[in-house]
Amino acid sequence: MQKGSIAASLFWLSAGWLILALVATAFLLTELYSRALDSSLTDTLEFHLETLVGQTLKAGDPASDVINIGDPRFERPGSGWYWAIRTEGGQLLNLSNSLVGSVLPGLKDPFDVAGKRSAVASDAFGTQMRIIEREISLYPNELHIVVTGSLDEIFELVDDFRGQALIVLGAVGVMLAIMSAIVARFALRPIGRLRRAVEQVREGETQTVAGIFPHEVAPLADEINQLLNSNAQIIERSRNQVGNLAHGLKTPLAVLRNEAQGARTALAKVVLSETDKMASMVASYLDKARAAARTGIVGKKADPTIVVSRLVRVMGKIHPNCTIAFRRPDASLPWFRGDESDLEEMAGNLLDNACKWSKGQVAVSMVAERKQDTRTLLIRIEDNGPGLTDEEAKKVLRRGVRLDEKTPGSGLGLDIVKELVDVYGGSLQFRRSALGGLLVELRLPAARLGGLVRA
Amino acid sequence: MRILVVEDDVNLNRQLKEALTDAGYAVDVAFDGEEGHFLGDTEPYDAVVLDIGLPQMDGLSVLESWRREGKAMPVLLLTARDRWSDKVQGIDSGADDYVAKPFHMEEVLARIRALVRRAAGHASNEIVAGSVRLDVRSGKVTVDGQSVKLTSHELRLLSYLMHHKGKVISRTELTEHLYDQDFDRDSNTIEVFVGRLRKKLPEECIQTVRGLGYQIAE
Repeated sequence: MQKGSIAASLFWLSAGWLILALVATAFLLTELYSRALDSSLTDTLEFHLETLVGQTLKAGDPASDVINIGDPRFERPGSGWYWAIRTEGGQLLNLSNSLVGSVLPGLKDPFDVAGKRSAVASDAFGTQMRIIEREISLYPNELHIVVTGSLDEIFELVDDFRGQALIVLGAVGVMLAIMSAIVARFALRPIGRLRRAVEQVREGETQTVAGIFPHEVAPLADEINQLLNSNAQIIERSRNQVGNLAHGLKTPLAVLRNEAQGARTALAKVVLSETDKMASMVASYLDKARAAARTGIVGKKADPTIVVSRLVRVMGKIHPNCTIAFRRPDASLPWFRGDESDLEEMAGNLLDNACKWSKGQVAVSMVAERKQDTRTLLIRIEDNGPGLTDEEAKKVLRRGVRLDEKTPGSGLGLDIVKELVDVYGGSLQFRRSALGGLLVELRLPAARLGGLVRA
Repeated sequence: MRILVVEDDVNLNRQLKEALTDAGYAVDVAFDGEEGHFLGDTEPYDAVVLDIGLPQMDGLSVLESWRREGKAMPVLLLTARDRWSDKVQGIDSGADDYVAKPFHMEEVLARIRALVRRAAGHASNEIVAGSVRLDVRSGKVTVDGQSVKLTSHELRLLSYLMHHKGKVISRTELTEHLYDQDFDRDSNTIEVFVGRLRKKLPEECIQTVRGLGYQIAE
């Protein structure tokens, strides 16, 4: 469900407007420039016109040779720069050298109050000209004095200007486009951060979408958090319900099993085998519920000293004939990186096994190990029981294998330990204890902060 | 030995009662927390089988309340929750042992036997008084290595005296601990059973302490 890109839309939208605005600017500037040039040309022509008027009046004869303009452009034929003095009827009285052999077009507009008129027209060579004409009275004639200037020069200048303006404005446009791309990126950065925060939640690195967001994005982050929260509640509820259902089934299962155990009928046999299946299903679903609950273990840690001392106290009651030597580690012992009840489950099962098999002596110790950069928590549990041969130890470490089917208890203890050790990426090793029995070495990941947190 | 079973599941309650009765215990039953709490408060039990999930008052509250009131009888908790965190909570509430459902009945019997034995201060499964040996697990009695056949009532009586050997046990205490609450306690059966036991065991085994009760010497 993906279509388009906010950044691209932003970019194209702003770039489109930019191009439009810049092109319009280029034309507007050119137009203004051309008008300025035209008006400057008109000024020049008017100046020449006044000069001609002055000379004509001074000479008193419109055909006099004295009448001239010093500008050499009026000497060159076909330059577009011409002047002429005509009678009202159009009879040519005097003209610039440039005009020799050609005729200026006549103007038809009426003269304004100052006795002037202006127009644009082409000469015989096709050169565009600005034409200014003035009417004066020199008794007995009405004279029309005309001065023209080439517009082609102006057009060339304007063309040059337009080209340069387009280049400069194009460069500005490219810069603005780059800037708008950067702005789009910059403006969308909070969305990227939000995406990463959500990703962290999905990866289980954090519980909620954390971080400070601008007020356009913050409500989205809040909504996501609330969604996560309600999701977590739903999951928690259904997990509890699975747990309650599974636990609730245990009592009727116990009843059925006990009832069938006494009898030797075929029905009893069926009931026994089916209740066994049901019991293992219940156990496996509880395992799954627990495993699912474990996806949220990130960031949790537990003090192994507290957990193990509590277990030692409990074992003292369950196995009163067993003496457990537990040397409390000092406060520098790192914490276990994971869930407290999982640590309790692993250590509890191992300790319980040690007490079950021992001949009265069990010892527990905990140390920190450092390998390269990783710190490991090593829990050693040993007893003076019969121990395991290397072969038995190997067998026990395989999943679902039990050595003695008759030992009381569900026998799931070690399986749970193995599974949890796998979940946490720890290790479980069996050795021979100095006490004579089994030495279990449980290695678990240590939390980074370690014992510093302990008050 | 008198046991209280507090379990709300009617069938499981009956099964526990039957199994424990077959094993030679006098058994009282309760089906909810309040009834169980009341019985444990007022009657002298040698052990209690207590379910955690009970109506009216949950098992752990019942247990904590007993312990607060100074009741020290051993308590075996029955529960569906079998994580160590649950077990720790149970033991910390004052339980002595813990069995997770679904359980094998033999396991409950074994745990109860061990609890009763420990409460009386015996470390091993065999209690010896002179030439008489009682195997707590099998309920077998031997005299000088020779097996002796006892009826269940006789065994109950001997077992209680053996568990508390060296102590003088009054007839009232015996009645209280050997019969459940529905038993007609006016009858003189204790004397009858002591008489029968004396015929099967060495003469000097069970002594009568005049005006106080009976005793098996250390």
